[in-house]
Amino acid sequence: MPSATHIDIHVVPGDGVPIYRQIMAQISDGVACGRLSPGDRLPSQRELAQRLVVAPLTVKKAYDLLEREGVVESRHGSGTFVAQGAQGDKAQAEKHLAQAARQLVTQAQLSGLDDKALIALVQAAAAQLRQERASGDHSRGERPKTTETEES
Amino acid sequence: MSHISVRDLEFAYGDGREALGGLSLHVEPGEVVGLLGRNGAGKTTLLHCLLGLLKPSAGEVEIFGLDPRAYPLEVKSQLGHVSEHDLLPPGRRVRELLAFHADVFPDWDGALCDELVGRFGLNTASRIRQLSKGQVRQVSLVCAVAHRPKLLLLDEPAGGLDPAARREVLQLAIELLVEGGTTVLFSSHHMHDVERLAQRVVMLHEGRVLLDDTLDDLREGCSLAVLPGDLAPRLEAMPRCLRVRPQGDVVHAAMAAPPSEAEQLLNGELSRTDVRCSSLNLEDFFVELVG
Repeated sequence: MPSATHIDIHVVPGDGVPIYRQIMAQISDGVACGRLSPGDRLPSQRELAQRLVVAPLTVKKAYDLLEREGVVESRHGSGTFVAQGAQGDKAQAEKHLAQAARQLVTQAQLSGLDDKALIALVQAAAAQLRQERASGDHSRGERPKTTETEES
Repeated sequence: MSHISVRDLEFAYGDGREALGGLSLHVEPGEVVGLLGRNGAGKTTLLHCLLGLLKPSAGEVEIFGLDPRAYPLEVKSQLGHVSEHDLLPPGRRVRELLAFHADVFPDWDGALCDELVGRFGLNTASRIRQLSKGQVRQVSLVCAVAHRPKLLLLDEPAGGLDPAARREVLQLAIELLVEGGTTVLFSSHHMHDVERLAQRVVMLHEGRVLLDDTLDDLREGCSLAVLPGDLAPRLEAMPRCLRVRPQGDVVHAAMAAPPSEAEQLLNGELSRTDVRCSSLNLEDFFVELVG
């Protein structure tokens, strides 16, 4: 069995979104920016539950929903893998993005940034992600292992 | 068969003070339920009734389908219990306590016991009075889980512990869940711990169940609006408004709807366009409901 691809996940209880959504978002994000590639094996549910110190059912829920969205696939007896051609549910993603965009615009307005400046920031972030994705194959595996961090 | 089945439970203390006033609760095998409520809400009294330590004034309590007062041995052999208020005999050595529990429980798993003692770094020759508060709690935990119970009742299992010791308690609970699908009912004031461990949340208030829902539905299906104080009466009349809490000139309205839905509802109902709702984490939710 191939060993699980390392992926940095950390959860913050008390954050704006429930823990299962935090796990889902970080795995989807890993796929989107190339830290995870199709075929990569994810940590087992029990391993991740112990590493993050969260209930095993929470991890199961995240994995099940990611599977339904086509981001991961479980292969009987050998674990959970990033799916071929993985991409998230578009309608759902747009809904979340609209909410995030609204927060972003509010913050920008509060800081006195105009729309143009905000759009430039978004474009810069997109360019940076593209760059990271391009060099993703080299940097993968060298990322420092982060332990889960959080304390109330 | 439910692991915990409580119907219309009432309990009053000798002085007539009512601690539980008609409480019903069912917990199925494998569920992990966080029991929340302010001090005095009835959490410990409920757990003591489940353990058979208190005799209900009215109503029924069944653990594994049995009355814990009529069948104490049958129930206790499959049950583990840890409380913040556990009193272990101060003069006893750790190994004497462990040996006592190993004798009492036919299913005592000596290997698991040794593993936990090793992991916690407990010196079994120490007397209880020589241990720190965290170490005493670890001894309680080993005694509560080494017979691999089907059901764990935990009353503030990490209460009074420092963050590192609290995390160890949580880690042990997660490990038991990963291994065996243990049913857990635990009370806690640490909302972050509840978010890590619980799938379902039961909130007690004045001896009754105020709210019983899955953690994720609570987190995603409730929201908060902050509105001018004079709207309080109209908000209180709204069916999906869970609580209205005055805060100076404004009121906080906890809504049983996700933020966008609650905004629509409130804007429509109050003929406004400026109502904004935000999501709530468990701690905020607790304060909005029973604070």
